[in-house]
Amino acid sequence: MTAALRSMAPALALFGFAALVPLFVRDAFFLDGLILILLWGSVAAAWNVAAGYAGQVSLGHSVFFGLGAYSAALMGTKWNLSPWIAMVVGAALATVMGFVIGFLSNRLRGPYFVLATIAFSQVFLIVGSRWRGFTSGSEGIPVPFRPGFWTLGLVEKRVWVYLMLALAIGLYLIQLYLERSRRGYQLAAVREDEDAALSLGVPARRLKVAAIAVSAALTSVCGTLWAQYVGFVDPFYVFSVDLSVRFALAAVTGGLGTALGPFLGAALITVLETYLRARFGGIGAGLVGIYLIIYGVALILIMRFAPQGLVPWLASLSGRRRVSRATGAAGVAS
Amino acid sequence: MSLLAVSGITKHFGGIIANRDISFEVAPGELVGIIGPNGSGKSTLFEVISGFYPPDAGEVRLDGQRLTGLSPDRVCRLGIARTFQKLRPFAGMSVVDNVMVGALTRTHDVRHARERALALLDRVGLGEKAHAHARTLSTGQRKRLELARALATEPRVLLLDEVTGGVDQRSIPGLVQLVRELHRDGLTLLVIEHNMRVITAVAQRIVALYLGEKIADGAPDAVTRDRRVVEAYLGQAYAG
Repeated sequence: MTAALRSMAPALALFGFAALVPLFVRDAFFLDGLILILLWGSVAAAWNVAAGYAGQVSLGHSVFFGLGAYSAALMGTKWNLSPWIAMVVGAALATVMGFVIGFLSNRLRGPYFVLATIAFSQVFLIVGSRWRGFTSGSEGIPVPFRPGFWTLGLVEKRVWVYLMLALAIGLYLIQLYLERSRRGYQLAAVREDEDAALSLGVPARRLKVAAIAVSAALTSVCGTLWAQYVGFVDPFYVFSVDLSVRFALAAVTGGLGTALGPFLGAALITVLETYLRARFGGIGAGLVGIYLIIYGVALILIMRFAPQGLVPWLASLSGRRRVSRATGAAGVAS
Repeated sequence: MSLLAVSGITKHFGGIIANRDISFEVAPGELVGIIGPNGSGKSTLFEVISGFYPPDAGEVRLDGQRLTGLSPDRVCRLGIARTFQKLRPFAGMSVVDNVMVGALTRTHDVRHARERALALLDRVGLGEKAHAHARTLSTGQRKRLELARALATEPRVLLLDEVTGGVDQRSIPGLVQLVRELHRDGLTLLVIEHNMRVITAVAQRIVALYLGEKIADGAPDAVTRDRRVVEAYLGQAYAG
């Protein structure tokens, strides 16, 4: 097995498992969980392109997600257009907005950039909730259900699993490209030290803007699919800072700047959240909201013991095992 | 014909004049040293030549082509590489990946860039450290890394800012030897150096700056004996 293949083995196992599940499982609750894990993992991966690979941490990515979601909802209800067309339009709009945010990233660095992205998403939240004539305001818009693949009106959850799986694999491969290509090396240099990168001939500004624009377009694609799957779009959800934080949380717990991290992070967070809510949440629960406290503590523990995220943590564990095995063998030999 | 021509460079920071009307030329294959006490404008001049600071007046030309006004990455692609006084390795990347970033400016092929990077690391004596993390290197090794990284961009002129600064005494001869070899192989170098013994030994010509102005330009022994240079370094009492 070559080194490249071995490094991809965990991803092959994860996506392979996801591909097998629909063959054996019919349970709607379980399939729904898997679909959402793949979707949130994909959005986190799209966010990772800007934040993890290019070092441009944004907490305004819900803007792009919302643009994709609203494109599906509005173009479906107003003009009866296919969500596939909405996907392209949403991605194009998100790319334009990505250029705007990318332009900001060349003016503002670090925390100032993060604050600007939050402000940016707040603008969209206000427009989305106040422009009632076009967006139906805070009531939100139901996405019309039109049966068929071209209109993405799919009752069968198993089909959704494969759709989201294709999305996830696509995003995984894009991240892999960013790890191994010329542009990937250059982006890593920009992330580490922009001035040093410039001095070595790396067109840092252009690359940063391009990475943010690509990240924005990919996030929008996820937004369109999400809207079609869930069937309802409202501004206080899709343009919220909470949602942006959710993307970031999955990528950071999984491992910032790693290709598999966003998916592992999304799996962990989604499972944790769903399980805790089912176990401790709901009306019958003795302490309302205790599940959120447990959830928070769990996240703190993850960051305490795996501060770089799950992927580097697991890699270091397996590395340590390999080392101890090697020294063990040496001990026997001597 | 000069390879690098600096003419009339002036740079202010508010009321402070860091460079005032500085002009000099560097011929192909020449090794020119820049000396001057702290605050005399050496580093500012480097920032201007490499495109990081736009000058208030004057221009820099490489082989006749105007560089002034271009971004640092363009300046590098046109053939000027530099190192930083305060070292800036890509700390989270491996040593070979650091150098590959430079090599990828000249080639689009990642595998080719890796080969070139490894060859350059051997050249600067860091071959064994190729797969270590850059943050684990000592200061002397980091200087070599910066050299390899800059060389990977295949510069026509290499600007070195303080090769021996902050390095322990034992590492200095090796670094000086390396700079000598690069020069012998035909590279054109412009070198800022605090250590007088080092610079007079390697440079063919020295440009001396003081309070932002050029006060001397010539052969090393002439410049180090120059009355104004001695004054600038030691004060008037010593100038005889």
